[in-house]
Amino acid sequence: MAHGGSGALGELVGPELAELLRTHGVAVRRPVWGRRHGQHASARGGLGLDFRDHRAYVPGDDPRQLDWRAVARRDRLVLRQTEAEDDLPIVIAIDGGGNMGYGTGAQTKYRVAAGLATALAWAGVRQGDAVGLVCGGDSDLDTGLLRVASGQERVDAIARRLLAAPIRGRTPWRRLLPELAARMPRRSLVVVCSDFLDLAEPERDSATVEAELIRGLAHLRARRHDVVMLQVLHPDEREFPWDDRRLLRFVDRRGLRPTIEGTGAALRRAYLDRLVAHLHHLDEVAEANGLVLERVQTDVPLHASFVALAGRLAGQPATIGASAT
Amino acid sequence: MSLLAPALLLGLLGLAIPIIAHLLGREPPRTIEFAALRFLSPDEPTVTRRRALQDPLLLALRLVLLALAVMVLARPASFDRTGVAMVAEPHDAVLLIDASASMALRPGDTTMMDRGIARAQTLLESLPSGTRVGLMTSDPSGPLIEPTLDVEQIRSALDKWRGQGAPRWGGWALTDSVARAAGLLRDTAGDRKRVVYAVGDGTERGLAGLPATGEGGALIVPIPAIDPELPRPGHVGIRDVTWTPAPDLDPRALRIEVHVHREAATDAPQLADDVLEVSVVLSVDGQTAARGTAELLPGSDAVVEFTHTLLGEVAEVAASVALELPDDPLPIDDVRHLWLSADDGINVVVVNGDPSELRAHDEVFFLATAISVADRQQRLRLTSLAPDQLEARIRETGERALADIDVLVLANVRAPAEDVVHVIISRVRAGMGLLVTSGDRVDPADYDARLGGILPLRLREQVELGTAPGRTEAVAEGFAPPDLAHPMFRGIGDEISLGSARVRKAILCEPDPRRQASIVIAYTNGAPALIAREAGDGRVAMLTTSIDRDWADLPLRPGFVPLASAMLGWLGDAAALAASARLDVGDPRPLAGSGPFVVTTPEGAEITLSRDDGQPVVFRDTFVVGHYRVRDGDATANFVVGADPRESHTAWQPMATTPVSDDERVAVAIPQWRGLVVILALILAAESLLRLRRRTK
Repeated sequence: MAHGGSGALGELVGPELAELLRTHGVAVRRPVWGRRHGQHASARGGLGLDFRDHRAYVPGDDPRQLDWRAVARRDRLVLRQTEAEDDLPIVIAIDGGGNMGYGTGAQTKYRVAAGLATALAWAGVRQGDAVGLVCGGDSDLDTGLLRVASGQERVDAIARRLLAAPIRGRTPWRRLLPELAARMPRRSLVVVCSDFLDLAEPERDSATVEAELIRGLAHLRARRHDVVMLQVLHPDEREFPWDDRRLLRFVDRRGLRPTIEGTGAALRRAYLDRLVAHLHHLDEVAEANGLVLERVQTDVPLHASFVALAGRLAGQPATIGASAT
Repeated sequence: MSLLAPALLLGLLGLAIPIIAHLLGREPPRTIEFAALRFLSPDEPTVTRRRALQDPLLLALRLVLLALAVMVLARPASFDRTGVAMVAEPHDAVLLIDASASMALRPGDTTMMDRGIARAQTLLESLPSGTRVGLMTSDPSGPLIEPTLDVEQIRSALDKWRGQGAPRWGGWALTDSVARAAGLLRDTAGDRKRVVYAVGDGTERGLAGLPATGEGGALIVPIPAIDPELPRPGHVGIRDVTWTPAPDLDPRALRIEVHVHREAATDAPQLADDVLEVSVVLSVDGQTAARGTAELLPGSDAVVEFTHTLLGEVAEVAASVALELPDDPLPIDDVRHLWLSADDGINVVVVNGDPSELRAHDEVFFLATAISVADRQQRLRLTSLAPDQLEARIRETGERALADIDVLVLANVRAPAEDVVHVIISRVRAGMGLLVTSGDRVDPADYDARLGGILPLRLREQVELGTAPGRTEAVAEGFAPPDLAHPMFRGIGDEISLGSARVRKAILCEPDPRRQASIVIAYTNGAPALIAREAGDGRVAMLTTSIDRDWADLPLRPGFVPLASAMLGWLGDAAALAASARLDVGDPRPLAGSGPFVVTTPEGAEITLSRDDGQPVVFRDTFVVGHYRVRDGDATANFVVGADPRESHTAWQPMATTPVSDDERVAVAIPQWRGLVVILALILAAESLLRLRRRTK
């Protein structure tokens, strides 16, 4: 691997995106509050070089920060403040349930989500950010990598972990948020990767789980985390290409819902209506709660999806093509 | 109902094919492991868990389709319960179809002819393979096909002939046709059986009276057009129309009698109150002139009488009499045509060569008496002359003396004088009738010398009959049965019974085949008694014995009355067949005059005929009933072709049983699969529609 990444990393990210990551980093639109020096604009004044502001001296301030020229002009003690650049803790939660296994060959939704997550982690690590990962699937949460850490080893660990995920069962969404809330540094970038199509759990329907998840994410947002919902969809899910009279048997990849048989012609219209309504609903709730909802499709090259994701993180509006309609 | 090919029912096993096809045709559902099942709803109308066969309606249709196809191939058929018999082995056959007018009777929706042809077609279908079959009809212009293996040719000829309007008037009786049909089989080689299948009705001119075998031993198998047990409808028809002048009413008045007959239906009880009122309409010159009503019980006759006065000076008008009976099962005999004229009589002048005070010995007495009895229409008007009177008149006025005479009777007259005889001969050649009766005054040598050119045969000598050498007793000769085929006796039949008459003396004749004389009546010893011949446009008859009791007791016999009437009528017809001349369908019509003649048929066609080499002109195309107009320069000689009243007799007579023995019989199968074919086609169309709809969905 040209960039020193492990085999898993290269397999997930691919050569084009790896090349792209040489020049692209991860930026968020708001100042961060990292614990260490980094490359993101900090919410606090700090030790940077760029002038930020003056403020009156209060006892206990570092006298080295007195701006003597300003003191001379104003005849009172004034401190010179400079812009600080902090690191950005990045926590990635990825849905490794069976629903993410849909796709053509190796190009499943999970692989796209994992590729983007790895790329994000790698870009963050390259600019000194700490990265954590929580991985759902098979009715369990793997929080082994949740505590954020920096360094190439973490990226490799994340890549290996993502590649090793079994992609089956379901993600226990209700356990995710408490885990995150407890172990996440403040003002982190939280990226939740899933298809957000069907979050149902054995005794709770999808709408309820979804509402809880949104509420939880909104809560994180209120605690000044940047929350990104990365929705990965397959074209089949967007377009429902089966429109003839051949009989189809739809099996729930997560094993939760009963099998449905029918012809595509009979099912398609209602499916598309419901899907569009759902995506609209997601758009609305994300916007209402200050969450960034980025929608990517598996048939779009990974690097293009990453550029779009990075743009959204930096404050670009959502592209029209990614919207629900 | 049974099946002609029951083995083909094995094809029903094929019913499994569509079931298997539909089972195999069940498309295994393609399994898709999907993430968004949440948005798929099992409540969609067509979303079911398909465990059943696909398209059960289509499957049912296909099963019915296949079953019907198998049934059609198995050829279900019912067998004719009359057991129409045919020879079971391959044979040579002629299909003879009765084309007489009585076949137009409608026992239901279709005519006897339709049913007969249907039966003939069925018979053709059922003939043993290898059978050669020919076709003949009793219609003189119908198809005639020599026996052939090509049954299809027979079929199409039958259909074509039916499309040309058969039956029509003028058909032969089946008994006449059978001989011709058997003649078709004469040339067939080998020892195969020869069979004439005669299809027709059971009327007298139809199947009734057919012999069991024909010429050359051909079997004749009668096949009734419908089962004899089935009911046959009655009908009303005009049997005859006669008219006579009625000078007592008006010089130009006519009395017209219409004889209407009601044939009884076979299935209806003959009730005394089952009276049918039928309107009879007389049309003159295309206009309705009068209307009368006949009240008819089943099987009864009625006479409707009209009187009509001819207007203006027109010599003849076309008239017709029709029944107003639109639902009559036999409509073709509901109309009759006639030409009406104020004068329709035949003037007969009897030259009495031997007048006698005793009526029993007077020539004219018997003739006049017979005519007054037989000639109810009073067509014959008899006047009497002495030989001298006739000769004196001829000497005075030449041919004009004979101009009004239609028939001249020389009754026991010495031969006319040499200076007048040529006038008589010329008149005879121009159309006058001449009857010569014998007697003591008739000298054969004189007659031969003067009238020999027109007499049927030359006369030889007077002989006493029955006096042969060795006979001790003079035995009088009798009359052999008359030649009823002679046109003189048309419409008379058995009424001429002269068997008991005795003849003592007669004149013998010189046999001479060149004269083409026909011997109408002969004596039992073979000598000619009544000979007739056409001479030019006229006709001559010679009675070789006396017409009174001098030589024979002929005038005392009942047969004399119709004989006298028929004889004079035939002779008179030649003269003035003219005006009210009435022919049966198909009879030739000799045209008297110089020509050329223009004949206008009832259909409006004009046919021109001209005299060729002095031969008499005969119009033969008289197969359409109605008025015929004949123009000969300024003169007209119209005639009417009338329907044969025998065809109105639709009552069936006993028929001969089939000569085919029971072990040779093959019952004719009546196919019942044609309806199935129609249903099959409908279901096929439904199946196609259904499939199309499924595909476009």
